[in-house]
Amino acid sequence: MASNEDIERIAAAWLVRREGGWSDAEQAEFQAWLGTSTAHRVAWIRLNTGWQRAARLKALGAGLPPERVPPPGAWPESYSKDDFTPAIPALGRGAPRIEVVSAERTRVRRPRWLPWSAAAALLLLLVGLTGWWRFGAIERASYATAAGEMRTIPLTDGSTIQLGSNSRVAVAYSRRQRDLRLEQGEVFLNVASQPGRPLRVQVLQRQVVAVGTRFSVRRDGETLRVAVTEGRVRLENATRRHVVPATLLPAGTVAIADQDGVHVRHLSAREMAALLSWREGLLVFRSTPLADAVAEFNRYSAHKLVVDDPAIAAIPVGGSFAWTNADAFVRVLEQGFGLHVERVRGEIHLRAK
Amino acid sequence: MLALMDTTLDDWFAGEILVHEAALVRYLLRWWPHRDDVADLRQEVYVRVYEAAAKALPLQPKSFLFTAARNLMVDRWRRGKVVPLEALGELESSHVPADVITPDRWLTSQRELRSVVRAFDRLPPRRREVLWLRRVEELPLKEIARRMGIAQKTVEKHLADATRDITAMVLGGSDCPLPDGLQLPEDAHGQQRGH
Repeated sequence: MASNEDIERIAAAWLVRREGGWSDAEQAEFQAWLGTSTAHRVAWIRLNTGWQRAARLKALGAGLPPERVPPPGAWPESYSKDDFTPAIPALGRGAPRIEVVSAERTRVRRPRWLPWSAAAALLLLLVGLTGWWRFGAIERASYATAAGEMRTIPLTDGSTIQLGSNSRVAVAYSRRQRDLRLEQGEVFLNVASQPGRPLRVQVLQRQVVAVGTRFSVRRDGETLRVAVTEGRVRLENATRRHVVPATLLPAGTVAIADQDGVHVRHLSAREMAALLSWREGLLVFRSTPLADAVAEFNRYSAHKLVVDDPAIAAIPVGGSFAWTNADAFVRVLEQGFGLHVERVRGEIHLRAK
Repeated sequence: MLALMDTTLDDWFAGEILVHEAALVRYLLRWWPHRDDVADLRQEVYVRVYEAAAKALPLQPKSFLFTAARNLMVDRWRRGKVVPLEALGELESSHVPADVITPDRWLTSQRELRSVVRAFDRLPPRRREVLWLRRVEELPLKEIARRMGIAQKTVEKHLADATRDITAMVLGGSDCPLPDGLQLPEDAHGQQRGH
């Protein structure tokens, strides 16, 4: 019989195969291995949990130049301190208390992307010569997710978009422009740099313009939220009627825009990670009012949570939860906060005991 | 009690059992005379807990886990007959941590990030580099190999080792025996810079 150490080694090898992109046959083989013994299964769950935790490192990648491994210890002080930052209020309910800061606080750096953009330009030229018809043509597509679903979609230009739960995005690419329209929900974009062919996300009455960067756009009723993890994006009005100066958003900022204007705030890497934790299948709350946390869950779940009792709407809740697992959240509310939980026709009602 | 589908059970296991790994490892180390056996014992405890939970979910996961650990050690001691009976009695009557659910327990997000960062900084340089390029930059393994000028097989080996190391450090805490003899520095909770 294999020792537990051997089993752990094999589980790790499976994880690496998954990361390398495994075939259906390999996946079936893996499932068979998993089913052989509980020792295999627990070893796998454990390593996979460790791997999931390691995803938190992405928070540190936010705002750093891409594809360089930072040396040990090269992190902000806050990673060694036991401080708590106030929660970012979820959108939708209540006015988010967000200070307005100058959006032009970005440090000017020597652009590291210069050689890359030259390479990209060359590539674009080659592509242009060999297949201009393809890029000249307008490509149109539309992608949508159901509640509780999340999809990563590679686009023809090398960009990828990650579509959150219950979201819809329309893509229209032409030779000069890359246009996306977020019709509903939330999308995270990893934009392939193509100088001279900007990528724009239209949402509500605004547009978010990027050249080679990573950011997320979320639409919540009449409010829009843009969070930038890398590079820079420009938030501008799509309509020409009001001439409002564009807002430049550097990495590490979040902008919330509604009819009244744009609020920009600089986020710590941690806060940014929490905002984008849905990409890892997580919802992260930090002293978030219960009503907001519930609204967040409801974006993802077919079984709606309902707060029946105004007295409990403001209870601050914290923690991170898999968005597929509203049950765990409800259990915490029930056991940790002593709330009364009642399931009625596919809805879960919450009130004080 | 309710029977659960595998993935739900797996989630439960990760969320209710694996979160106690550091405490479990400390508990095993306190009672078990051979440090080298601890990782093995831990896995065996997990097997017992998982199999029991597949039949009926324990209401108090943490106490259930520690009771399973205690029973396993008692079983092994009895079989091995190497441990004085008094010690056995002591273990049998030892205190098993109770489940206390407080809202605090769920406020782990920042702490978790810090523990990941510390663990990450302790990885040997190559494993660390591979893990970053894959987990953060999401580069294909082939591209990582090209960039680092090493074979893809070697990248795969580093990534597997890095995953095992970081899992042991993040879940198991600083007392945990690490795979492949990777040793934590003495000041496991301090800032360690460089290797």
